[in-house]
Amino acid sequence: MRATARHLRIASQAAFLLAFLALVWLLAEPRVRGEVTSILLAIDPLTSVGTILGDWTVPRWAWIGLIILALTAFAGRFFCGWVCPLGTLQQLVSRVASPRRRLLLERNRYRRWFATKYMILAILLVSAALGSLHTGWLDPIALLHRTMASAVRPFWHGGVSPGGWISFAMVATILLLSAWMPRFFCRALCPLGALLGLFARLAPIGIRRDEAACNDCKLCLIPCQGADEPLGEHRVSECHLCLNCLYSCPENGLGFGVRAQPATGVREPALDVGRRRFLLTTVAAVAVTPVLRAAGGGLQARSADAIRPPGALGEGTFLARCITCGACVAACPTGALLPDLGRTGVDGLFTPVLVPRRGWCEPSCTRCGEVCPTGAIAEVTAKAKQAINGPAEVTIGTAFVDRGRCLPWAMDTPCIVCEEMCPTSPKAVWLQDVEAVKRDGSKVRLQRPHLQPELCTGCGLCENRCPVGELAAIRVSSVGESRDPQNRLLQQSGLAVR
Amino acid sequence: MADQEHSQVESLYRRIGRRDLLRLWGRPGLTALALGALGASLVGRAGRHRLSAPSQVPPPPDWRVQTDPALAAAAGNGPAANLHRAVGALGGIARFIRKGETVLVKPNCGWDRMPEQAANTNPELVAEIVRMCLAAGARRVTVADNTCQDPVRCFRRSGIGQAARQAGARVVHQGIGGAASLDLGGTVLGVWSVLKVLAEADRVINVPIVKQHSLAVATLGMKNWLGVLLGSRARLHQRIHQSVAELGAALRPTLTVVDATRILTAGGPTGGSLSLVRKADAVAVSTDPVAADAWGAEQLRLSPMALPYLAVAERLGLGTPNWRSVSRKA
Repeated sequence: MRATARHLRIASQAAFLLAFLALVWLLAEPRVRGEVTSILLAIDPLTSVGTILGDWTVPRWAWIGLIILALTAFAGRFFCGWVCPLGTLQQLVSRVASPRRRLLLERNRYRRWFATKYMILAILLVSAALGSLHTGWLDPIALLHRTMASAVRPFWHGGVSPGGWISFAMVATILLLSAWMPRFFCRALCPLGALLGLFARLAPIGIRRDEAACNDCKLCLIPCQGADEPLGEHRVSECHLCLNCLYSCPENGLGFGVRAQPATGVREPALDVGRRRFLLTTVAAVAVTPVLRAAGGGLQARSADAIRPPGALGEGTFLARCITCGACVAACPTGALLPDLGRTGVDGLFTPVLVPRRGWCEPSCTRCGEVCPTGAIAEVTAKAKQAINGPAEVTIGTAFVDRGRCLPWAMDTPCIVCEEMCPTSPKAVWLQDVEAVKRDGSKVRLQRPHLQPELCTGCGLCENRCPVGELAAIRVSSVGESRDPQNRLLQQSGLAVR
Repeated sequence: MADQEHSQVESLYRRIGRRDLLRLWGRPGLTALALGALGASLVGRAGRHRLSAPSQVPPPPDWRVQTDPALAAAAGNGPAANLHRAVGALGGIARFIRKGETVLVKPNCGWDRMPEQAANTNPELVAEIVRMCLAAGARRVTVADNTCQDPVRCFRRSGIGQAARQAGARVVHQGIGGAASLDLGGTVLGVWSVLKVLAEADRVINVPIVKQHSLAVATLGMKNWLGVLLGSRARLHQRIHQSVAELGAALRPTLTVVDATRILTAGGPTGGSLSLVRKADAVAVSTDPVAADAWGAEQLRLSPMALPYLAVAERLGLGTPNWRSVSRKA
């Protein structure tokens, strides 16, 4: 078989899919540098645009996303056809599940409602500009990555979470829909595809048709992945550059090159987004974004168990930066992080929270900040996290002893596990020797745990190991986290911003 | 025919003009340049990281006119007359308030209580201070407090809102008027968000009422400064004496006017039952905040030494608890 550009495309898709999957597993591999393991997340142009709008910054590798956007302005949506792993998976599914239907002409015609994705993009970008970055809910890169990190990877490593399952269900739905219509998600819903489509409209390079050779046989429409109709009014904004059409033309009338359009030539058809509809969508997004933010209690009334990873930025900035990719979730060596569902409100859906009953924050580990592609979790040093010879610089919460559930406090039963586990030095959990009288009058010597809050880092090892089942007798809440000067309990020098 | 059309199109393709070329490559070229410029200017930027240190927060201004310690007290003639006699003994209001200045009057208006319950500063006294300042030529007088309960209820029930407005003052609380940041320094304070009117005032008159307080023993002038702070001031109670003394060091008022018209002797700072209130019908005016609080403590029949923060304040050099040594006859 002759090697063609189409084979090159398939090879590229396979390589990116395999690399994408491999990197999810390498996130937790300390021998690979953290920023390398999340590089495919950082090159996502929607992430670059989202963090620019939300926090006016291009974090770490995200400049690559802008280069991809610039290349798209020259050569179209090659990212969709050659790179995107979710696109590749959809192609695989439709090939296996509906080998005949995927090649029906009717399945691959352009439809006006494919413009829905531009509306979705508008909503996501407006809310990003208002400080709520929700691109990760639908961004194929972030969505697939979160699913791999929090639902698929845990098959081997344990710790599937509700947020992971919902993401998994979303990906499964997308794949099932692709059995009904090839790349349904890419065509109709994908916000990243919409962003790239806008820039692709400027591209001078792409599929070009030799009008002299074409006899309108429509064979090129049949294998078309983007439903962009290379025949006639070719919709460059929809074209994934899969190049299938090139090899379907019996007249050799289609080529890849400079799409020179003479003055009398065919014009790029307009996007099927009316001005009125676009305006309404934007206004609706402006109105709804603050409502979604308030729905979780807002920044002032977060729930106590919304514990963020160490180094996480202040909640407002954090929500403007986190793309909910789940890199930190997969990177956490103790499995303490999961994509949230409920603790941090609607705005925080799928953002990482630390659940001490699942795992704890290992004092010398800084992996979550190392892998975070957008810097929503800043890199911190292990030293800053450890309270050795005094309070730690970076803390994520404070532990509280529940005297009603604690064995030595409430049941006159000896136990010292929380104190034993406490990794700070001096220990934040300390024991007081007491002699208690039991029900039968006998005396028992007990060591009852107390907590010195300024030494506690909120790591949660005590809660994780507490022998009292389900609801532990010592529990961490987010108060005292170093990222929020308002969320404090103790008076200390510079308790406001200093 | 068709062939002819095709060849026409073909020839058009071949003859792409300079203008077409520019249109073809110019738009993506400019887009790439714009993206490059945007990326280059923003790459690695910290973003609006809200934890980053604020750039240069100013300390509060010094509102004193006279640093020489002096105190005058008057009793027996109602709050307005007592005030006039005491201020007169210090040389008259014109010594302290100049023409065109903006004045902040800070009463204790923390609670949804009536004047008879003595949880808030006497409204007549507040109104009379406002009238005095306006008569001295003040451009604007503002009466402000960050109340502990609903500010609308506090200003209404205390009578302070209406009295102050009728006297010609503007009323401001935590819900209106905005916030400013001040570096209050000290060992336990640091940068605080405060009522914006505080940061903008030329002169400040602190008008506490004398009340018992479970933690601070008594709440008087320096404790009254908590009412200009926004944010979680509740944490200051963990080291109340150091905090109150440092507030006194950071905020130096033009005058302290201590209201002992009615005194809340127990159950403070909220009170409630009229059986807790004792009428003393006295007012003291002082340029020395430590002397003012010492005088107030004695109205509660406490030795100034019973207030630990006064000892800290004296150590910090803020004034003398021996108020008799600086007393002027009213």
